[in-house]
Amino acid sequence: MPKSQFVDPGKVFEPGYIDFDSIPLCRYNKTIEEEKQLYSKADFLRIYHDMRTIREFETMLNEIKVKSEYNGVKYNNPGPAHLSIGQEASAVGQAYCMDIHDFQFGSHRSHGEILAKGLSSINKLTDEELYDIMKEFLDGTILKVVEGKQAKAGDVKDLAKDFLLYGALAEIFARTTGFNKGLGGSMHAFFIPFGIFPNNAIVGGAAPIALGAALYKRANHKKGIVVANSGDGALGRGPVLESLNFASMDQITKLWGMDGKYSDEGMPILFNVFNNFYGMGGQTMGETMGYTNPARLAAGFNPTEMHAEKVNGYDPLAVIDATARKKELLLNGQGPAFLEVATYRVSGHSPSDSSTYRTPEEIEAWKAADPIPAYRAKLIAGGVADEADFAAIDEEVVNRTVKIIKLAIDDEISPRMDLSKEPEMISSIMYSNQHVKSMDETREPEVLIPKEEDPRVKQIAGKARYAFDDKGEMIPKMKLYNIRDGLFEAIIDKFYEDPTTIAYGEDNRDWGGAFAVYRGLTEALPYHRFFNAPISESAIVGSAVGYAVAGGRAIVELMYADFIGCAGDEIFNQLSKWQAMSAGILKMPVVLRVSVGSKYGAQHSQDWTALCSHIPGLKVCFPATPYDAKGLMNQALNGTDPVVFFESQRIYDKGEEFHKEGVPEGYYEVNIGEPDVKREGKDVTILSIGAVLYRALDAAKKLEADWGISAEVIDARTLVPFDYSKVIESVKKTGKIVIVGDAVDRCSVMRDMASNIAEMAFDYLDAPPAVFGSRNWITPAFELEKYYFPQPTGIIDVIHEKLMPIPGYVPTYNETELEHLDRAKKGV
Amino acid sequence: MANVVIMPRQGQSVESCIITTWQKKKGDPVAVGDILFSYETDKSAFDEPAQVEGTMLEILAAEGDVIPCLDPVCIIGTPGEDISALLPKTGESAAAATEAKPEETAPKAEAEATVSESTGERVFISPRARHLALETGVDLTKVTSTGPHGRIIERDINKALDAGFTATTEAVEAFLAGRPMPVEEEPAKAETPAPAAAPAAAPAAAPTDFRAYDEEPMSNIRKVIAKSMHASLSEMAQLTLNSSFDATNLLAYRAKLKESGEALGLAKITINDMVLFAVSRILPHYPEINANLIEGTFRKYKHANVGMAVDTDRGLLVPVIFGAETLTLAALSANAKTLAGKAREGKLTPDEMSGGSFTVSNLGSMGVESFTPVINPPQTAILGVCCTVNRLKADGTVYPAMGLSLTFDHRAVDGAPAAKFLKELCGALENFDLLLAK
Repeated sequence: MPKSQFVDPGKVFEPGYIDFDSIPLCRYNKTIEEEKQLYSKADFLRIYHDMRTIREFETMLNEIKVKSEYNGVKYNNPGPAHLSIGQEASAVGQAYCMDIHDFQFGSHRSHGEILAKGLSSINKLTDEELYDIMKEFLDGTILKVVEGKQAKAGDVKDLAKDFLLYGALAEIFARTTGFNKGLGGSMHAFFIPFGIFPNNAIVGGAAPIALGAALYKRANHKKGIVVANSGDGALGRGPVLESLNFASMDQITKLWGMDGKYSDEGMPILFNVFNNFYGMGGQTMGETMGYTNPARLAAGFNPTEMHAEKVNGYDPLAVIDATARKKELLLNGQGPAFLEVATYRVSGHSPSDSSTYRTPEEIEAWKAADPIPAYRAKLIAGGVADEADFAAIDEEVVNRTVKIIKLAIDDEISPRMDLSKEPEMISSIMYSNQHVKSMDETREPEVLIPKEEDPRVKQIAGKARYAFDDKGEMIPKMKLYNIRDGLFEAIIDKFYEDPTTIAYGEDNRDWGGAFAVYRGLTEALPYHRFFNAPISESAIVGSAVGYAVAGGRAIVELMYADFIGCAGDEIFNQLSKWQAMSAGILKMPVVLRVSVGSKYGAQHSQDWTALCSHIPGLKVCFPATPYDAKGLMNQALNGTDPVVFFESQRIYDKGEEFHKEGVPEGYYEVNIGEPDVKREGKDVTILSIGAVLYRALDAAKKLEADWGISAEVIDARTLVPFDYSKVIESVKKTGKIVIVGDAVDRCSVMRDMASNIAEMAFDYLDAPPAVFGSRNWITPAFELEKYYFPQPTGIIDVIHEKLMPIPGYVPTYNETELEHLDRAKKGV
Repeated sequence: MANVVIMPRQGQSVESCIITTWQKKKGDPVAVGDILFSYETDKSAFDEPAQVEGTMLEILAAEGDVIPCLDPVCIIGTPGEDISALLPKTGESAAAATEAKPEETAPKAEAEATVSESTGERVFISPRARHLALETGVDLTKVTSTGPHGRIIERDINKALDAGFTATTEAVEAFLAGRPMPVEEEPAKAETPAPAAAPAAAPAAAPTDFRAYDEEPMSNIRKVIAKSMHASLSEMAQLTLNSSFDATNLLAYRAKLKESGEALGLAKITINDMVLFAVSRILPHYPEINANLIEGTFRKYKHANVGMAVDTDRGLLVPVIFGAETLTLAALSANAKTLAGKAREGKLTPDEMSGGSFTVSNLGSMGVESFTPVINPPQTAILGVCCTVNRLKADGTVYPAMGLSLTFDHRAVDGAPAAKFLKELCGALENFDLLLAK
């Protein structure tokens, strides 16, 4: 909503048409003689070699799956193998154009793509560079396996080919000598030194991640382009469509330049669709989609129609021709681009696929058009090479494949992770737990004004950093440094420290975030570091993943925690998992801010900490005071792990009521995982999660005043990780605990904590740990919320009913076990 | 060849024994007859002498361990000998452990089931309160529960403690296990009177802690007595009849034995022996008194198996004189002496302490004039023998009257036959010489 762009009713209602340019379909028609001007014999043969290598590699995998034997080598592979036999020309053609700085992201059917990109990179790197990469990667683990075994002694490129095939195959066979120590597997193999980025078992999952990597290049002025590969089936997925739109948004070329101050180039990303006509079994063209051609989709996203084009993916030279032109557009700042590469997999979706969805005639017709023999025939016919040249390549490829599989299945050379000897091996890579102030110390952060001139910074300077004055009176809210100020300070500090730090989400710029946390950032930061994202939660979170994978630090915001569902895959499968799936090679410095609403009904008031805490790999915070908000945000932003940062709209304006010396102006951290005793007591413990802290404190005051019961209140502050020591210590003292939070009771973190406390402190408990969350309902209207969210009275009721009956106390709510039995029976 | 020493079975009903002390350590030389270890059943204590010579190679049970009878407890042999085959399989190999486990656990589960079957109501108490109760030894019978669902919670224990209600740890454990708290027969806490020398040291010393005490777990025998006595009182309908008889004749006969019995070996016959003798002759006339009552069934004994209560250091023990009615006074007396000696030395076998049909308890030597003996279950009566007091006859003459207290189980015996038994016994004792002639 930049003010510079006037929404004029006069123009809005003007009559007219939208014109579309024609989208070229398979327009490549160069002759071999024309191509000879571009390619040497070695180039031509290398293309054949690369296609043949992929074909042999996948044939080997297929035979292992189907017959448990390849060329006399016996092996059983229980893992997946999604093959792309038939699609080699598409992969090799694309990779041929890509440089080492160009990133490639792919799907679950990417063996061909990663081998093609790897072989292309091997060709483009010098021997010295290649050897250094192999030597440094995982301390030379893979190099040690293949070194000295290459067919051409002293030939580094030959060694590198062994290295590439072995690293990929060992990964597919879940060996510790694989590219990701076997933790990624067939559908997730990647090798960043060659520009091969994570492939994704979630259809379309890589699109927003690739977008994020492109955003990283765009925002940090990095060389190269990003190619987001997917199949045609992925075009039915929201995250892919969101990414196409996100990459195409006007602001990148119209606003990010800021009147010539910064670059106004488009997003350097090529969405490359390998259209093999089937999303597993569903036929996209003619059955599950209505686009007639995938390329048609691109036309709707922006006036350039994303330079969409369809190309014959069975002809490597046609693919190279098209990809090279797209790459040039991107490098000229005219991205994004879209390419439909028509191809066909003659192999099944997986070896268990009996192809019930297509006819044998169709498969035979495509086998007859097989790109590899066709290309070979074309080169022979064109006088480029003879049969002997090809026979030599064939022999080399088969020998290499046999050699590699023998190495990859040898349990001595290629062991699996031994979790009996090292039971915590995977634990050790779930988080990276690093402290990195700046992800790029070589650059100065791009900012618009000195920090101290920022209007918000100036405004905060006049605020009271402790909530009470000398007389103990609460300072008026307008003059009080509050939670949103704490968050803002941590975030703006990081923007002035780490040049890669970037923040976006819905209504972030100009508005300052829906809850004003970001007020003051617009004045300080250029567009490419701080902008409004489209209402595309998948693309917002997914791109943050890609941004981090590429080397940056991202803060993204989902306005309401309720929108977590819109970004489900990106949070639960991507953000959370890539550090471990990469065996610790990737870092994920992403802070995902989500705000828990109130007064906003059933779809805008939910505390979904349980969903995020359930997923291994995420850290989850939920501060309730300005001191904790700033300290936790500082640590989250200084770390290298994904943190889902819950905030509550009920308490954004709360001042600091606990740290008498006030919230420090300088840098400090609150440890993620450490709960905090907010009030000491001896008779009963109340453990609170999030904003309910203040209601827990009210309950504690009432217990003391009316019943002489001394309650200790502990603020969880963080849900994952969580150090139970302080809580157990408190329970040892009081013997009684109630855990309160605004999340619905069933399957909440509160329930999880109760069960853990019961196990860890059983002998010290005077009653089973009690839980008091919200009812298992929809959130009702604000006026009815006291019947839904835990209130101080209800907290005392629960203590009375479940922990220690208070003589003479008359409960308000029905929190008896009989009632809970009945509720559970009804599922409410 | 090494020898495995097993836990002896002391009597048919004994299933396990507790090892109290090891007299030999691993590596000690062992001669035949050396005491290897001491052990206790729930009723008695024993020493186990070595049957073979050699060296103690291995000790398989620690002091305080409860060992099933016939299980190995130690190995004696020649140093350096391979005894691995003799060692019990402890599950060093996983396979052996898994194989052994089901066999091990099955009987355990059975045992547990039996225990819970025989216990009373479950006690609902929070883990924390349970912990505190065991730690402090609160008298749980005095605790009022105020927790949810009537659960005893921490504050309830604290309240009882503040009021000074304490008991032994064993009692708390028993209560928590669902058994009634054993009745204390003696003051629970050993008194620790201030030492005589205290006044001299007093000025410098800290003030005497009058609450100080020594805590000592109940011995096995004490536990058994407690259990049995409490069961006796809580399960039977006991009442006591007191009477006395003119002991002139009896005392005269006793004097005669003392004077001239030396040569005949009769000098050591005691008044108690004579009472036992009289009892053994009268009992057969009263089958319901010479009986056990077990779960609604009378076990009417064909012989007078008279138990005699013996006070020992370890507590009250009741060895039985089997077929007392068949013994001469001299034989009965000798028998009684042997048994009393064994009792004092802790050498009675369990078989010598079970199967009694009636019991005689004598507190007369302590000057007790009348008391309420507690029946030794499952017997139906017990006779208490009291001291002799001088009484006046109607004609003004003084005579020695010896008191007799008969407690009987009114479920088994009515008042009239019990009184009749007592009267007949008094008559027999008054005319002891005639009884001897019978």
